[in-house]
Amino acid sequence: MSGEINRRVTLAWVAGATASPWLVDSAQGAPVITTDAALPGTWPNMELPPITAKGYGSDPNLVDPTVPWPLTLTPAQRAMLKTIAGMMIPADSHSPSAAALPIDAFVDEWVSAPYPQQQADRALILAGLAWVDAEAKTRFAADFVSAGDTQRRSIFDDIAWREKVKPGYEMPARFFVRLRGLVMSGFYSLPEGMKDIGYMGNAPSTEWPGPPANALAHLNAALAGLGLPPVKS
Amino acid sequence: MPPHKASPAHDAAINFEPDAIVVGSGAAGSMAAWVLARAGIKVLVLEAGRDYDPVKENAMLKWNWQAPLRAGSTPDKHFGFYDATADGGWEVPGEPYTNAPGSVFKWWRSRMLGGRTNHWGRHVPRFGPYDFKSHSRDGLGMDWPISYDDIAPWYDRTEKLIGVSGANAGLENHPDSSPGVLQPPTPPRINELAIKAGANALGIPCVPSRYAVLTKDIPDDNVPRQACFYASPCGRGCAIGAAFQSTTSLLPMAMATGKVRILTDAMASRVVTGRGGKATGVEYFDRHTGANHFIQARAVVLAASACETARLLLNSRDDGLANSSGQVGKNLVDTTGTNVSGHIPALENRPRYNEDGKDVAHLYIPWWLYKEQAAGKLDFPRGYHYEIGGRFGAPGSGSPAAGLEDGYGAPLKEDARRYYGAQISLTVRGEMIPNADSYCELDPEAKDRFGLPVLRFHWKFSDHEYRQIAHGIATARAIIEKLGGTVLTPRLPPEEAIAVGGWIIHEVGTTRMGTAAGNSVTDQFGRTWEVDNLVIADGGVFTSNAHKNPTLTIMALAWRSMDHLAGRMRKGEI
Repeated sequence: MSGEINRRVTLAWVAGATASPWLVDSAQGAPVITTDAALPGTWPNMELPPITAKGYGSDPNLVDPTVPWPLTLTPAQRAMLKTIAGMMIPADSHSPSAAALPIDAFVDEWVSAPYPQQQADRALILAGLAWVDAEAKTRFAADFVSAGDTQRRSIFDDIAWREKVKPGYEMPARFFVRLRGLVMSGFYSLPEGMKDIGYMGNAPSTEWPGPPANALAHLNAALAGLGLPPVKS
Repeated sequence: MPPHKASPAHDAAINFEPDAIVVGSGAAGSMAAWVLARAGIKVLVLEAGRDYDPVKENAMLKWNWQAPLRAGSTPDKHFGFYDATADGGWEVPGEPYTNAPGSVFKWWRSRMLGGRTNHWGRHVPRFGPYDFKSHSRDGLGMDWPISYDDIAPWYDRTEKLIGVSGANAGLENHPDSSPGVLQPPTPPRINELAIKAGANALGIPCVPSRYAVLTKDIPDDNVPRQACFYASPCGRGCAIGAAFQSTTSLLPMAMATGKVRILTDAMASRVVTGRGGKATGVEYFDRHTGANHFIQARAVVLAASACETARLLLNSRDDGLANSSGQVGKNLVDTTGTNVSGHIPALENRPRYNEDGKDVAHLYIPWWLYKEQAAGKLDFPRGYHYEIGGRFGAPGSGSPAAGLEDGYGAPLKEDARRYYGAQISLTVRGEMIPNADSYCELDPEAKDRFGLPVLRFHWKFSDHEYRQIAHGIATARAIIEKLGGTVLTPRLPPEEAIAVGGWIIHEVGTTRMGTAAGNSVTDQFGRTWEVDNLVIADGGVFTSNAHKNPTLTIMALAWRSMDHLAGRMRKGEI
């Protein structure tokens, strides 16, 4: 990671930590779970304090971007996000684990933002985190982070696969899809993720020659398979 | 009028003693200022928004991860964090607009030097001969008072000036440029070649696009512009001047003549008329002090954008200035729009390369069914085109796997690699025909922060537009399916799939030109029928709005109208 994002993220973390809801009462930021989430598959009904911070406005400094709103997640929520991100995107020969990059910080930045889309995501994701934790406690008498990898995966396997969502687990599955999208966005837009999927742009050059021969050959083989004539650059 | 407050900028503008005032600094206003200044006319440009430096302020090579929310869209910055829009958008604080009951119209406004040219799409197809005489072809709307041949020389000049890369396709009603005008096109990307293959197999053309993006340098002593360096989205603004915007070209070129002054943060509020009904100058509000000032000139040119210009006329006199025809604010049209995207399994795991290119699309699907339409074989009268997409794009606030990913762990990482860059999109852009239910007028109640009445919009599409959109969706689906693909866009009826009014940001027609004072606001040179020295240079003058993106035509018309105005001013007619 470059120094730039570290500095930016750190400032936001400091701001967020001062409002840590683990340390203060609910009126100052902690979500209140109003229904019993301890039944497997039961979706928690949460009352979230509204985000009142300002956005970056219609004329932000584009050259030196900053995140003006404080982060709002608790250390426990951040730890869960880190664990989940690492399970979603583990290390392989192409790139590191999402747990090794500040993806939990990105999700915190996202759900703490004062815009309507992000606030809708906040409701879904915070409820989802509460659900995952309650599910782990019910099944394994341990919170999600402390549970074993096999135990955690057994929860994921009920909600993570499009065609295999356990009946009654539709809301947790929705949460999983949304969080997975955010984790992927956060991960693949970082240099490590861009390298993994092979984004090679944003590199000024005096020429742009078009597709190389191997890319054209791949396309023409694909077109032949579809019964279409070949193309030339 | 609020009391006059001291303003050095205003005093300097007064002392400059302009011959002409141009309201607006975007595509039309910058062209007007430059053309008039070259003719030796002293021009004061009033810009409602702030000053803007496209070199110091833009974020061309910043990465998405360096911006809040991975630079994604928010209500503060609709086109993403780095978009070169300052203080503009669907809503401008303190400057509301309203929708009549049952109407939905969205009005994108800019409040910065250079206006919308800083971030526009830069797609510049020419209108063709049919597009100026569409009433004669199908009996709908009204013919322009000019023909294609009348404007063709200014198309050539404008393309040469702004710099257009592309190629002549030699297709019906898609005119070629004169030899030597266009800069070289850029080779197509893989997904564009795939779309071309699918389209061609269905008898649909797919040809090199025309965009106002340089592929060759344009040297100039004062305002040199460089060829594209094939990186950075054009919408962030282009510090090297490759992607055309007035702030790196026409405005500094106009300033270099020594004949132009620009007053920013100056919101024009009224065109003032005097004896004989002539315009004597313009009143404006200083955005910072709220003070109202007056500056006089021999001629006034309105280039504030179609709806803002109509509003200015309506606010200039009780029944609207230059409005004896009752046409000011009427005939409001946008471009129709919808998008169809698809996943193409044959493009999965394709070989990687730097696919940024010119950022804009390198190929284009122009409207192709003129003969079928003329023969009555289609159930809608006017054409559309597709702007096409699909590439290894810069990862940002969305999943690189386009939502096709599943599960978690190692298979998810495989999905990201497999699905990245394997989608295509076909974006429909079609012609809307003016109708009596789509117009803007002054809201009888609502006022803006300056106390000026705001616009109220009325909006309704007709079956012409719905049937056209239905055709565009069906054909796009056929192209995706021809490539063995899966359509990702939910199938909606055209009434739901069509973008709401204003959404394509091609709103024009509110001060249309025509053949006579009874049917229009201006003559063929943008001169209002009633006020001899008041000329409209923006898209308000469009008599009809071909599906082809309007900015090139706005600029060519503005140049032609300013040549005419400059000639009259030189001859002492004004």
